[in-house]
Amino acid sequence: MSDAASAIIPPTKSRHLRACLLCSIIQTSADFRSIGCPNCEEILQLKDNPDRILACTTSYFDGVIALIDTETSWVARWQRTAKYARGMYAARVKGRVPEDVEAELDSRGIKYRPRDQSEQD
Amino acid sequence: MSDNESPPRRKLYDDEEDEEEEDSEGSEDVENEGSRKKPKRVKQRQKRDALSRFLDIEAEVSDEEEEDEDLSSEGEAGFITKEGALPEDEDEDDLSGRHHARVDKRRQAEEYRAEKSAEEIAREGGGHRRFTGEMSEIPQRLLMPSVHDASLWQVRVKPGREREIVFSLMRKSLDLEYTNKPVSILSAFQRDSLPGMIYVEARSAQQVSQACNGLVGVYPSRGIHLVPIDEMALLLMIKKVDGGEKIVPGTWVRLKRGKYAGDLAQVVDVTENGEEVGVRFVPRIDLNPREDDGGGRKRKKNPAPNTTNPSSSSSSRPPQRLFNFEEVIKVYGRNAVSKRGQVFVFLGDTYKDGFVEKDIKLNSIILEDVNPTLDEITMFSSNNTNLEETMVDLSIIAEASRKAALAVLQPGDHVEVFQGEQAGLHGTVQEIHGDTLTIIALDPALHSQKIDLPARSVRKRFKPGDHVKVMQGKNTGETGLVVSVADTNNSRTMNENTIVTFISDMSMQEISVFSKDLREAAEVGNTTNIVGEYELHDLVQLDLQTVGVIYKTHQSSFLILTQHSQSRLVHPHQISLKKDKSDSLRSIATDSHGFEIRVGDMMKESEGEQRKGRVLHIHQSHFAFLFNRDIAENGGVFVTRARGLVSITPKGALGAGKLPPGADLTKMNPAAAGGAQGSAIGRGPRDRLIGAHVVVIKGPHKGYVGIVKDTNGVGLTALARVELNTGNKIISIEKGKLHKKLWGNNNGSGGRTPGWGSNTGGRTPFGAGGRTPFGAGAGSGGAPGGGGRTPNPYAAGNQTPAWNTGSKTPNPYAHGNAGAGNQTPAWNVGSKTPNPYTLSSGGGSGGGATPGRWDSDRNEDNDTHKDGGGGWGSPIPAGSGSGIGGWGADISSSSSWVTIPSTPGYAHLTSSSSSSHTAPYAAPTPAPTYSDYESNAAPTPEPSPTWLLDPSLSLHLSLLRIHILGTKLDKYLDGAYEGLHARVLAASRTALIKIQGQPEPSSEQDSQSERSFPIKYLLPVAPATQDATAVILYGPRKGQKVKMRQRPDEGSRTELVVVESVVDSGGGGASSEGGSEEGGGGGAFWECQKDWMCVCW
Repeated sequence: MSDAASAIIPPTKSRHLRACLLCSIIQTSADFRSIGCPNCEEILQLKDNPDRILACTTSYFDGVIALIDTETSWVARWQRTAKYARGMYAARVKGRVPEDVEAELDSRGIKYRPRDQSEQD
Repeated sequence: MSDNESPPRRKLYDDEEDEEEEDSEGSEDVENEGSRKKPKRVKQRQKRDALSRFLDIEAEVSDEEEEDEDLSSEGEAGFITKEGALPEDEDEDDLSGRHHARVDKRRQAEEYRAEKSAEEIAREGGGHRRFTGEMSEIPQRLLMPSVHDASLWQVRVKPGREREIVFSLMRKSLDLEYTNKPVSILSAFQRDSLPGMIYVEARSAQQVSQACNGLVGVYPSRGIHLVPIDEMALLLMIKKVDGGEKIVPGTWVRLKRGKYAGDLAQVVDVTENGEEVGVRFVPRIDLNPREDDGGGRKRKKNPAPNTTNPSSSSSSRPPQRLFNFEEVIKVYGRNAVSKRGQVFVFLGDTYKDGFVEKDIKLNSIILEDVNPTLDEITMFSSNNTNLEETMVDLSIIAEASRKAALAVLQPGDHVEVFQGEQAGLHGTVQEIHGDTLTIIALDPALHSQKIDLPARSVRKRFKPGDHVKVMQGKNTGETGLVVSVADTNNSRTMNENTIVTFISDMSMQEISVFSKDLREAAEVGNTTNIVGEYELHDLVQLDLQTVGVIYKTHQSSFLILTQHSQSRLVHPHQISLKKDKSDSLRSIATDSHGFEIRVGDMMKESEGEQRKGRVLHIHQSHFAFLFNRDIAENGGVFVTRARGLVSITPKGALGAGKLPPGADLTKMNPAAAGGAQGSAIGRGPRDRLIGAHVVVIKGPHKGYVGIVKDTNGVGLTALARVELNTGNKIISIEKGKLHKKLWGNNNGSGGRTPGWGSNTGGRTPFGAGGRTPFGAGAGSGGAPGGGGRTPNPYAAGNQTPAWNTGSKTPNPYAHGNAGAGNQTPAWNVGSKTPNPYTLSSGGGSGGGATPGRWDSDRNEDNDTHKDGGGGWGSPIPAGSGSGIGGWGADISSSSSWVTIPSTPGYAHLTSSSSSSHTAPYAAPTPAPTYSDYESNAAPTPEPSPTWLLDPSLSLHLSLLRIHILGTKLDKYLDGAYEGLHARVLAASRTALIKIQGQPEPSSEQDSQSERSFPIKYLLPVAPATQDATAVILYGPRKGQKVKMRQRPDEGSRTELVVVESVVDSGGGGASSEGGSEEGGGGGAFWECQKDWMCVCW
């Protein structure tokens, strides 16, 4: 394995674990504030933006996935996190990103897939 | 990302081609991993290139086809084909329009890689990687795992530590990445809904166990199981059944923490990201804050100290109570509460409509198993007068119950489909299976086809003219004819409901409810009309001055018509007192002609509107509440002055005493009858059972003892209303199931309930029947109404203090003038109604005690009693002489009694017989009792001298409590053991007993010794306390063990007491018991004569 980008692995016991609504990565809210989302910072801009963090991440998620080898893992592929940083991801995240993010994704031609498994295809 | 990023990305494909590589990787020397990997990867890449790219692609295509046959039809087939095989960058290229370059790139993968890495490095340095949402275009089903993917392995872990272990695996694999023992799992995950297990993605089970090795709480020894490939995706698709999606405004939740922990709350709104919900709940404001916590006073000055919780200081949390501005400012001061429009702000919380409204984190509320109780919901809904809102509540309750469809629909319901493909269809429900309904379509085109539908997609269908009944909601129980059916405009949550308006059968008013709350029903409103303990048409006290009659009940409130003819909406807690029914039955008023009005009479207003009605209640002899179904106003209840009423039925005659004997007066309340007696002398006989002490001998109340309050006819099937001694309850029961208790026994119980004791005299005629001289006298001499008349059982029931004293005071007969003298006025006071019965019966009881009976009865009792009997004899003339004349005469007669007790015999009795108390002896009016009892009950067999040797007792022999009697007379051992209580250790002709020093069972401090005693001196001790265990000595149940269920009266030896068979008894005979207890057999409770038992230690 190489030193592929790894997200900060949050402490297990943390009470403030939050999952990104877009990429489902799990970090503490402090980490979100200090480094933002390792995958979607470019579009979400969570860094130093607590309100944005509240809007774009949630503490309501179910299932924790340790993605160690994102490239190879089927789990990562299934979760569509194969291209993301290594780290902890949520299996299911409740909620949708704010509308402006959805609009932005739309304008980039990216299909937004909510992480709550409400849409299956 | 570094330039080394690409190798691992390729790895998947390397592995796909050559798994052995992967397997051997772990054992390879990884000292210079970076350099090792790169050459290897290059080698493989070259290998692939050599095989030609087309072959590669073909292989991928075939892979995809395995997964999904639809693949070829997909427009994106080419792209998808590559998905598994191509690196991300190519997808990216695809998006950026460089699709055409893919094939070339493939061939020059190596160069491209390097180039790309550099590009990425540059990008990373320049800021954040552009979010591309790669792969989001691929349908999920095409991501299904293939045989080339690593497998998932299920590993058992300690429940509750799943998440922790997944984190540990992550950290471990990162930590060991560059060591010589890297963790070679690809991922690991856990699902909250699968406790006790985690899933690890790896190529082999050995890798899994290697990864888990050393982690606490993982149980690889319990097996590392391969997850079948077709189940892999399912594991990641698990959805919580009750997930957050279901939170919609109106959902019921419970709060998890704080002083409101466990309280029900209702979701008002949900924040955009679904993380916080606005809820409202009933506040718990401490209206008695402790002074010393600096709260109360300080807060007055400090308007909004948000941080302090009004009750955080107090140990117990305050009760739930809707926010009341007035109350709160009274306690916390006006400044503590600020008002903003419709809402109050108090201590940082917002209060609206009495509820707290608060935004709460999703993880501090409980969403599952909320199960709100009706009471809780009532708190929320009671304030909603607005129909719309109420209905929102109800529909949500139904939804919250998750069985919405089931709760609402029943087979046979007429439904229509309002959503889905079948929308518009209607039919009748045939079956309900879980959430699926089978309906038979009524559409002729469908030929009564059976159709399965999700229950949620149908709603009940009604049409004007249907007769319906409301199944839930405030109007529960209302029935009526549908007049209109309207769709609700509010389509948000209400679309399964239409509003149906119907005209109530009862109130003739239009009521609108949701269709789901309705059923078609043929019956006409027979609602129970009970809210809590209040029933329709109950008379209730609202405050000191106001009473009212409930004329309409709602779900949690009533409409009440007060005596001032005002209508009020009242909640149960506003009612201070419910007027007892019997209370109201007893109240009497006079109508405009001076005749009595009683509850139940049909009356008419003599003036004004001349409304007719049945008297429901009479208040203070002045106001009469009447009910007439034909009057729409106030539910047919109206109030008027009693004086302004005239009877409709020619019943006034009754009051004048012209009623022919034999008229059915049994329904009349005894009290009322008593009152009437004042004017009417010599009315026909009432049911003689009324007032009698009875035992229920059959049915669920078997074994209960009570007094007959009322009967409705003769014959065994006629019903009697029996007031049970236990629980102050009145039951209706067939007369055939009652057995009259003998008054002797009553008297025994008289010792307990003071009222009875004094009453006994009056009841004598019943208990004694025709058997005793007195009874006979009563029957024949009944003419004057005095003797033959039943006493007023109500007087007894009243248990006025006067009676108490009467019964408690030592026997007036015995104690002469003083006692009797005291007694007399007391009685007068006690019976408020000028009730001659009580009085005359008092005389009567005296009369009943003929000397003869006395003498004959007391044969086996003390001699002193006999003497007393002589003394007693003389009251008869006095009693009988005064029987009619009312109390005044009795007083004189009582003065004649005075002489009686003073007869030496009696005096002797009191002094010599029972050592100290007079009370037990006072009860002895019992003397007659006793005798009377004897005449009916089987006489107590004289204990045979060898009773101890009875084989049926052998089982309990060692338990028996015996006492030693007769040694003094025989001078056996100088009588030293006389009176002592003892336990039998063994019995033959002489029993070996263990002697407790004191006669009192309680004190055992005295010397205990064992010795033999001739059994003829050993006599059983009768039970004297409730719950004592005893053994039956005689009768068919001989040898059984019983438990006393009634406190025996010390004064009477032969009292019948209620006992319960103890389990270990052998079932016993089902026949009669206690001589008088015909139906007593077979049940757990029965009655037994006290001296037939021997108490156990």
